[in-house]
Amino acid sequence: MNDVKVIRSIKPVYNKDLIMSRLGYDKYRTTLSAETMREIERLIKKTEDIMDITAAYRITGITQINPPQIILEDGTILSGQMLSELLKNSRQALIMGATGGAKVMELIARLQEEGKMSEAVVIDAAASEITDSVLDFVMAMVEQYFRPKGMFLTKMRFSPGYGDFDIQQQKEFYRLLNAQDLGIMINEACLLIPEKSVFAIAGICHDQE
Amino acid sequence: MTKKEFRKLFQNRLIILDGGMGTLLQKAGMPGGVCPEKWAAINSELLKDTQRKYVEAGSDIIYAFTFGANPIKLSEYGIEDETYALNKTLAEIARDAAGKDALVAGDISSCGNLLYPFGSVMFEEAVEGFKKQVKGLLDGGVDLFVIETMMDLQEARAALIAIKESCDLPVMVTMTFEGQRTLMGNDPLSVLVTLQSLGADAVGCNCSGGPAEMVEIIRMMKPYAKVPLIAKPNAGKPRLENGVTIYDMDDESFAAYTEELVEAGANALGGCCGTTPEYIRRVGEIAKSLRPVQAERKPYSLACSNRKTVEIHVTLPFTVIGERLNPTGKKFLKEALLKGDMDVVSDLAREQVEAGAMLLDVNAGVPGIDEKETLKVMVNEVCNSVSAPILIDTSNPEALEAALRIYPGRAVVNSISGESEKIEKLLPITKKYGAMFVLLPVDDNGVPETAEKRIEIIKRVYSRAREMGFSKEDILVDGLVMTIASNPSSALETMKVISWCKKTFKINTVIGLSNVSFGLPAREGINAAFLAMAVANGLTSAILNPNNQQMMQCVKASDALVSRDKSGLSYIDYYAEKSRPQDNTSEKAEKRQETVLKSLYDAIINGDGDAAEDMARQALISGKMPKEIIDKEMIPAIQKVGEFYEQKQYFLPQLIRGAEAMERAMAVIAPELERDKEERIESKGTIVIATVKGDVHDIGKNILAMLLRNYGFDVIDLGKDVESKRIIDAAKANNADIIALSALMTTTMNQMPLVMADMKRENLNCHMMVGGAVVDRNFAESFGAYYSNDAYKAVKLADEIMKRNKNGG
Repeated sequence: MNDVKVIRSIKPVYNKDLIMSRLGYDKYRTTLSAETMREIERLIKKTEDIMDITAAYRITGITQINPPQIILEDGTILSGQMLSELLKNSRQALIMGATGGAKVMELIARLQEEGKMSEAVVIDAAASEITDSVLDFVMAMVEQYFRPKGMFLTKMRFSPGYGDFDIQQQKEFYRLLNAQDLGIMINEACLLIPEKSVFAIAGICHDQE
Repeated sequence: MTKKEFRKLFQNRLIILDGGMGTLLQKAGMPGGVCPEKWAAINSELLKDTQRKYVEAGSDIIYAFTFGANPIKLSEYGIEDETYALNKTLAEIARDAAGKDALVAGDISSCGNLLYPFGSVMFEEAVEGFKKQVKGLLDGGVDLFVIETMMDLQEARAALIAIKESCDLPVMVTMTFEGQRTLMGNDPLSVLVTLQSLGADAVGCNCSGGPAEMVEIIRMMKPYAKVPLIAKPNAGKPRLENGVTIYDMDDESFAAYTEELVEAGANALGGCCGTTPEYIRRVGEIAKSLRPVQAERKPYSLACSNRKTVEIHVTLPFTVIGERLNPTGKKFLKEALLKGDMDVVSDLAREQVEAGAMLLDVNAGVPGIDEKETLKVMVNEVCNSVSAPILIDTSNPEALEAALRIYPGRAVVNSISGESEKIEKLLPITKKYGAMFVLLPVDDNGVPETAEKRIEIIKRVYSRAREMGFSKEDILVDGLVMTIASNPSSALETMKVISWCKKTFKINTVIGLSNVSFGLPAREGINAAFLAMAVANGLTSAILNPNNQQMMQCVKASDALVSRDKSGLSYIDYYAEKSRPQDNTSEKAEKRQETVLKSLYDAIINGDGDAAEDMARQALISGKMPKEIIDKEMIPAIQKVGEFYEQKQYFLPQLIRGAEAMERAMAVIAPELERDKEERIESKGTIVIATVKGDVHDIGKNILAMLLRNYGFDVIDLGKDVESKRIIDAAKANNADIIALSALMTTTMNQMPLVMADMKRENLNCHMMVGGAVVDRNFAESFGAYYSNDAYKAVKLADEIMKRNKNGG
């Protein structure tokens, strides 16, 4: 199972509370009029409609874990103490990526140019959350494929840039997922473009033989 | 086994299915990474023993171990050529294990890839793949089929169609839910409606979470179920303990849900991941003393997409069907369809649903177009844009079949008339795919003028449909609306048909509303009056323009008047939440009048840009000095907004809306300030702001620039991905007091100390503030910069820095 699988046009379930939380909403203290709440919901829906979601994943064998190094079956070396801990019970890993596409970033830029910063900031937060929820979707889907074999995924996933999992390793993910085919570019600083793009890794667990 | 025998099996008793296999085989030595079906076929005795244990534990039906034995999945192991042989062998092993004590179901599950448009597998490719599996299973001697652990309704449909096109054996279909939807967003009711209409003989859920979650799903399905319901849950969630997979629930706690599942409406029970023969034995023991519940089924017509079911009935609120996805008389839509521009289609779909359409009529009838292909693309586009179910509006049998085949829900065919050709060609296609249909009372003699003749045709078409297995719930009778311009009594004849359908024949109705006024002036008035009269006579639904506010007002009012909208709540809600773009001019004018009375201060606090602009203008007209307006109203207001934000009474969008309102007011006041030099407001300081080289995340920086301007700073915004030299040059040229930098990535934040080094090298007498997701105070202080973790705090920090500057700090 080494090939990259691509998923398009999905409508992942996302948590609106997490979007509100990204915007600094405090359910005990922040007071919102019904009109403002409707406006926020309209903008979230608009984000959902304009996002052009593409995700990709591949399952790859883990040859060796020698903390902090993790060697994948194709010879790719990832490095991270916390990542090594996450994958300690896994002999396979799920490598995944998602992008919200360029259109939503163009909308955010246009709104800022038009002086509609309050709309831009809501759409920006919603797009981030929805992109993240695509990876939740990928994990749930892959787990569903593995579950009947008595296998399941680690509860968590790590993205390059998290803790000691260096951001430079975005390049390995980019290569492993053929991310150029998803319309993602990577710059010298390992920054993904469109901005609402993310890579991550999780482990696949099963009984130790 | 025949479908009739299968139905009989469920009469007055609960059926016991089998439990999990994967975990058991793994414990018996199946290594990870192998093809489980191939391994099991090789280790046939082990497989047979395990399956036999389920039979001995009381399973009435066991599943052949062919879950993933479809060619697409097998190709992952390079053994797709073995599809037929593997399925046949595994069915024979199950047959052996079952003996005469249990039935064997050929097991089909997901191909392990998503279907188009989500993944790369085309619908027909999936159908063909499943057919290969079905052939092997049939030759291996299965009694029936089960499609299980599906998370996409469309893939379940593909498998069901593959079986239906291969044999007449009964088919059970179960899907896996995460909470109350499948991962692909399918809800329990749409799953049930789609599958039972398409010909599944039992429907339900398997895998998913534990049995507790499943109780609710079964309960949601039961009032609409025409077929037995299946519950086959996991033993909770798995975890690793000392290298061994453990599930949350033991056999006793798992079986304890049996009664609750049966009460909810389950007719067949079993287990999935983590369950063993012992779990099934315990469930069977409890089930012996229980009987399936007989629930009263709701008499509604049910149309659904893959994410939403619409219930249609004369006792329920009126069903609005959007008419705008029909190119007749719409040049822009015709052109879009000819060019293949589907953005127009998705926009029209969204606009109609937002305006209140519950279903959408979809028509691809453009002269010279490939209707079959265009209709398919339109149907896909509508499905991806909105969750409303659709009417497939065509009389072309090929186009109809192509669209129904790929539609991942239960559509309504619009329409089938009493014309012999239509009955012969369209009715069987509609039945095959389980769709509803609009019955058009027209026959080979043309359009009957009187209600009596229309009723004769309705009875004749219904009689033929009933022979094919349709019931009244599957039909919407078209009242057949003709213009009153050519026949003044035509509207009354339509009313008679609608009234007869409601009172005598007890069948749901629909009309194409706007025909009634064709050729007349002021058509909306006639349409609205006709609609209200038709609703009073029992009309169930109409195809109309939901973006026409008069029509929608008429629908809501009519529902309230005939008590289909209980307590008028929907009517009240409709008006409570509406501020429709096409008809809000009077509302806006009213609002403006109100805001004149408010102070500029309030407008900024409330983030009301329109009011802020108006009030600033009013304040100038009333003779107030610009500086006074800013000092006494605007600055205190924006400071108050900041305070609210700090106290978390406001969140970020409210802070920014305050700033936007401030900007709008400032745009009115600023030109007046320019005229009077004495009135000029002194700048708090000059700030050069930029996102560092290599970084393109700039929304945070843009928010800060806006706030800084609001709070009285001169801001020179250099944008994103800015080289150090440009920053230093700008600071020099503008005699900046502060350089403010943002960076979002660990790889770009290192630009910040480089800019600081350049700043020192150039002996600039200025400070540096930094911020961004990965930046923290320690990092900032390590090279002598100030740090802030949010935009508003950064404004306060800039204020402090300037105060210290002035005090010589």
